[in-house]
Amino acid sequence: MIELAGGIENKVLIAVDLSENSLKAVDYVGGMLRCHGTAEITLLTVIKEPSPDIVPDDQERGRMVEEARKETLALMEEAGARLTALGISEKHIRLKIQVCQKPMSVSDLILEEQQNAGYGTLVVGRRGVSKRQEFLFGSVSSKVVRDAKNCAVWVIE
Amino acid sequence: MNEAQLREQIASYSRFPPRGNLNILSDTTEFMSIQSGDVLELGGAYYLVRGEEVEGRFGLDGEPKYWVKRAIDLADGSSKIIKLVFHEKFLMQIGTEQILCFRSPVKEARVLDKVRDDLRFMQGFNVLDSAGNHVRIIERIQGDRYYDLIHSFQMDHEVYFHDHFPIIFDKVFGCMEAINRLHRMGELHGDIRNDHILIERDTGSYRWIDFDYTYDWAESPYGVDLFGLGNILLFTAGKGFHNLPDLAACGPEGMRMRSCLEHGDLSLFFKHRIANLQKLFPYIPDSLNYVLLHFSQGARVFYEHTDELLQDLSACRLDIAAR
Repeated sequence: MIELAGGIENKVLIAVDLSENSLKAVDYVGGMLRCHGTAEITLLTVIKEPSPDIVPDDQERGRMVEEARKETLALMEEAGARLTALGISEKHIRLKIQVCQKPMSVSDLILEEQQNAGYGTLVVGRRGVSKRQEFLFGSVSSKVVRDAKNCAVWVIE
Repeated sequence: MNEAQLREQIASYSRFPPRGNLNILSDTTEFMSIQSGDVLELGGAYYLVRGEEVEGRFGLDGEPKYWVKRAIDLADGSSKIIKLVFHEKFLMQIGTEQILCFRSPVKEARVLDKVRDDLRFMQGFNVLDSAGNHVRIIERIQGDRYYDLIHSFQMDHEVYFHDHFPIIFDKVFGCMEAINRLHRMGELHGDIRNDHILIERDTGSYRWIDFDYTYDWAESPYGVDLFGLGNILLFTAGKGFHNLPDLAACGPEGMRMRSCLEHGDLSLFFKHRIANLQKLFPYIPDSLNYVLLHFSQGARVFYEHTDELLQDLSACRLDIAAR
């Protein structure tokens, strides 16, 4: 049973990695919610800082994150533009880029954001990884579906 | 120590003292040029280099690993392995999957620190050489590879399974508990293979070696280690791996067994390897086979944490011990 606090049903979090599938999720949400005048949509993407074990130099890691941030911001703006093109008001769209320095999974970060900011709906794209890939690397969408609490989860394929 | 004192120590601990001038090095950056007979001065201690370690069964078969030196600690004559800084990245092949793998001296140094005094792991410490390189000084383990132990059993599988497997299973369970401890500390082993467990000759202890591989953190950070543990379990329960071509070569009985196998009975990562060992060896208890099937093509759920694997294996322990 989902317990919705006041207003959270209007807050939608779309976790995007800017792959083809997550852009499909953006389009789907835009299409679904264009008639919903009060829906607030946040596009969230996570940039993971490389591990110091792999890139030991602090400055090099910082530079890599900065490059990823610039690239991501441009693509996030494009995703935001897709929403406005579908009829979502710009004032109802937020872009959020989270840089993660800890060895934490992306799904945990998404769920943390959902809990902290009280989103009623969480949207993820699914890439359709193979069983072997799921075994070795895991799957963000599977973990979000399994571990999400107090919200609806939409998985877009 | 001056050169005369070093020569004295070398004469005490080595039957082959170097001739001519001693080459004493404190910067190990150019590890290719460090040779047998050189002395390394690291962290205030001296080590006589005796040669390089050689790559084992996998990878560059028989190739010397120039960044891994065999050495004698000139303080007490003990054997050491000295791992020098060598960064590389490469694609590791896991069945049909590839994973980008990095060799990280810093990671291995940190793990050595965290597992200090836990004798389920190789023991050693990290020192910085005069150029700031992380050099790991490791106590050499005198013993045999787990891989060789399993292949040394000459009896048929049923005798092995009833007479030897319960004891070995207990030891392997202990190895898995050790990996679980590592994971709880937020660390990976990174290269879990059946030749990365050494069985110490004097004590019979099973000990993990070589922790310098690392990967980019994925959603399932322990996936690669769990893959390795699954392989070791399959290898142990089966007294080696069993592949479809081996069955076909066993005449009518092998062909009959092969005809009973379905796609879901095969390994998730190796398409000819049999994971459902109960179909080959019906006396394997259900509880153990249940765990093995988590690594098969037919698996619907996978282990994400070593805790889960250990929990299921605990149930096997009872079944195996009771037989």
